[in-house]
This record gives sequence, structure tokens and C-alpha cells, in this order.
Amino acid sequence: MSVQDILSAENELTHMLGAQQAVVLSTRIRLARNLDGMPFPGWAKVPQRKEIAERCVEALNRSPKFRRGHVLRMGELTDLDRAVLVERHLVSKELASGKFGAAVISKDQTCSVMINEEDHLRIQVVKAGWHLRGTWNIAEQLDDALGPDLKFAFSEKLGYLTACPTNVGTGLRASAMVHLPGLCLAGHMEKVSRALSQDGLAVRGWLGEGTEAAGNIFQISNQQTLGLSEDAILRHLGGWIKNVVEQEWNARRKLATEEGDKFVDRLSRSLGVLRYARLLTSAESMNMLSHLRLACDMGCLPEERRHIVDRLMIEGQPAHVQMRQGGELDSDGRDLRRASVVREALREFPEPGPPTA
Amino acid sequence: MSQPLKCSLCEEAATVHLSQVVQGKVTKVHLCEACAQKGGATDPAIFQLADALIAPAVAPSLICPHCGFTDIDFRKRGRLGCPDCWKTFGDALGGLLIKVQHEATHVGRAPVGVAPVGQLRHRLEVARTEMEVAIAAEDFEGAARLRDEIAQLELQLRHS
Repeated sequence: MSVQDILSAENELTHMLGAQQAVVLSTRIRLARNLDGMPFPGWAKVPQRKEIAERCVEALNRSPKFRRGHVLRMGELTDLDRAVLVERHLVSKELASGKFGAAVISKDQTCSVMINEEDHLRIQVVKAGWHLRGTWNIAEQLDDALGPDLKFAFSEKLGYLTACPTNVGTGLRASAMVHLPGLCLAGHMEKVSRALSQDGLAVRGWLGEGTEAAGNIFQISNQQTLGLSEDAILRHLGGWIKNVVEQEWNARRKLATEEGDKFVDRLSRSLGVLRYARLLTSAESMNMLSHLRLACDMGCLPEERRHIVDRLMIEGQPAHVQMRQGGELDSDGRDLRRASVVREALREFPEPGPPTA
Repeated sequence: MSQPLKCSLCEEAATVHLSQVVQGKVTKVHLCEACAQKGGATDPAIFQLADALIAPAVAPSLICPHCGFTDIDFRKRGRLGCPDCWKTFGDALGGLLIKVQHEATHVGRAPVGVAPVGQLRHRLEVARTEMEVAIAAEDFEGAARLRDEIAQLELQLRHS
């Protein structure tokens, strides 16, 4: 199984197999788990790291969830392969930069487990759209299925023991990837971001920690993992996401009403650029695609076109563009190739009309 | 180019540099602006605090018997060495846990086969409060249901 197989396989996030939603692109649950009695990956010696990887891969291979899935060892992949996996959010930058990390990915790509990242295991479940409970249920089942086999490090007082004090307890990070062009255009994003962080939620850019919010896409997640039950963590995040989605819709409707022709003009110009540009940088295409997504949500473009925009956001990332080309490209080469991929995909797009949503 | 000095308390770039001379012994403390303001750069206690933080850099005061990880390693990496480190460093990390987590006790799930004691205790507390509320509201049916749940939780906790 190669990274190429993963890219060409249809999945929820790129092929509209799951329910697509206007504001929430995807829901993610991550559980940090460690094997009792083994040093954490950052402190383990090389033979120990190999042993950890073997034990975890074996246990995951026995799990029905990963039947006919992919086992990817970072040391055996090319730089480009690893970069693509990072862009897909299937592995983290940290895992990709080490030699002894591995990732086990389910056939449908909703479940992935990172091995030898900061913790021995990072169990991840991702669903397209906003499905907090459904995503959590899958993660919980996986956790329970793997636990007896792997014997997780656990203390009555501190819960699941992790390498970093910021994950101890539940080891749970629940997050939503949200598209907030309305709040960004209205200049409210900073205020929203501040309110969220004051109430214990982290707001990050599209590729997680330390990245910019390209395309008006943000990742919102819980920070506290100790002293709250999983249920309380999910309810807290869920309440805020509902609130943010509502505020985003208010901002969009207000903009559409107040701006009138200017609103549709902005979306139409973006389509124009995307359709005719010969060179497109990653940042420019993300920001213009964000406008197209907004146009689909608002009824300016047919809603069923939204998944094409979503796919271009993923496939327009630098490593994806190079993978498609079949090898490494310099920055100009990528911009040229990206523009041609986007142009081709948007050729049949109709002209944006007035908003109906 | 030389690395800028780091704050003795938080790893930010230090902009405030203090020297204290006591009986010929010089102690230097480097602080970032935020820590200097918070700690009061003129407060002599800052030297004691910095002492406690700097001193173990010479000799570790805590070592995990399982994996050999020390408090100095933790200061460098911000991550622990192994799950057993939590036994050795748990108490020392108490303050940090409260700072980053606001809580010090797990109330969530437990692995299959392990009683989720924290979760049960937490639910017990909540159920007791809910029962009081139900009684005050004369919702005796609800209160009876909660009384049964409480009895059940107490039983589970006794057997765990």
C-alpha cells in the first residue's frame, strides 16, 4: 500500500461521501494513549521505539476497524509522501519528522493511529461535517478494543498518563474544522477567537499548531484534559461550535444584505481569478476558494458544487500538487500546476447569482 | 550569533537582568518583561524562586527509578520520560497541572476492566446535589430515582 493509494481512494472529506456542511468542514477526536511500563517515544532508545511500533501495529492489525487498511512507516516513505500525509491531517508534522514513527490508517480513512509521536499512540477519528457524538463513539469503541491488548498506562488519580502534562487525564482532544469567511470579512474573528480562548478553547489555523488560517479555516479544540469527563469536554466544545456557527451565519447574512452587489461581485471576481489565472499561489487559491465555498453555502452557486471546492482546497496544497505531477516542483512550477488543476475543475462552474440563503 | 538569554521562569527572551550580591556571592537572574512585572523585579523572593529553579541544573533532585529521567530533563523538554515518571514527578508537577489544567484529578473514563473510580465519584457528587434540588422542588419521584442511583454508585465504589 502506498501513499498514492490513499490519495486516489475516495473518502468522506474529498468525495462528498459524508454529509457536507456549510460551516463545519470536519469533526475530529484524538485520544493520547501509552503502553504501561514503556518509556515515552521522546525518551525511549531506538530498540524500544521499534518494539513499541511493532506491538502497536500488531494490535491494530488485529482490530476489525483497520482490516484492509494501510500501515505506513515514516522511515520508509519519501519526503513528499510524508508531506502529503501531513497536508491530509493523517499524520502530524512531528510524526513525519521522525524515523521511527508509523501510522495505521483505516481503509475509509476515518480512523488513523499515529504510533511513536509524542505519545505511543494517538488514536484519531475524523468525520466530514459536524458529528461530535458519532465521531466520539467510534473513538471510544477503538479505545476499548485496543486497551485490553495493549494495556494502557492509567492511574486512578491522573487518568491516562501522557508524555506532556497538557494531555494527561482523558487524553482527549476534540476539535472542529470551521470555515468562517463571514466573521473574517466582517472583522469579528479576533473577538471570537479571544472569547473562545478565554473559555478554555484553542483556535488554530488549518494545519494545526502555529499555522496561519489560510482560506478562513480554523480549528477549534478543547485545551483542558484533566478534571473534566469526556462528556463534559464534548458538551463544552459542542455548545461553543453551535454558537460560532450561528454567529457565522448572522455575519454572512448581514454582509449579503448590506453589501448587495458588492457581495456577489467579490465572489464572482474570485471565480474569475481561479478560472483564468495561470499562476496561483497556495495562499491566493485558498482565499479565493474560501469565497467560492461561501458562494455555494449562500446559494449564489449550486450547493452540490461545494465538494469540488473542498477537494481543491485539499488538493491545491503544495505536496499534493507535486504528488499529482509525479515529482518535486519548485515554487513557480507548483503555482503553474495548481492553476491548471483549479482551472480544469472549475471550467463548468456557472456564474454566481444573488444569495438565496 | 549568540542566543538571547532566556527568562529563568518561563523560557521567553529575557529583557530584565538582575544581580544580587550576598556576602560576596553573586546571583544573577534573567527575566522576561511579563515575569519581571508579575514577580516584582525588586522582590528579593524572586532570587529564592530562581535559585530553586536554577540550582537543580547542577544536580538533579528527582530521578525516575524506572527510566532514569530527571527534573532537569523535564525542564529542558517539557515532557516526561515514561508513565512511571508521574509517580516520581506527580507532586512536583501539581502546581503546573493546576496552571495548565485548572484541575488535578481525573474524572473521566478508565480502560476496560478498570473501575472508573474518578468518574463514579464525580457522578456521585453530582447525583447528591441533584437529589437535594429534587427534594427542595418536591420532585419525590426524581429524588427516589436519584437515591437508587446513589446507592448503586456507592456499591460500585466499595467494590472497586
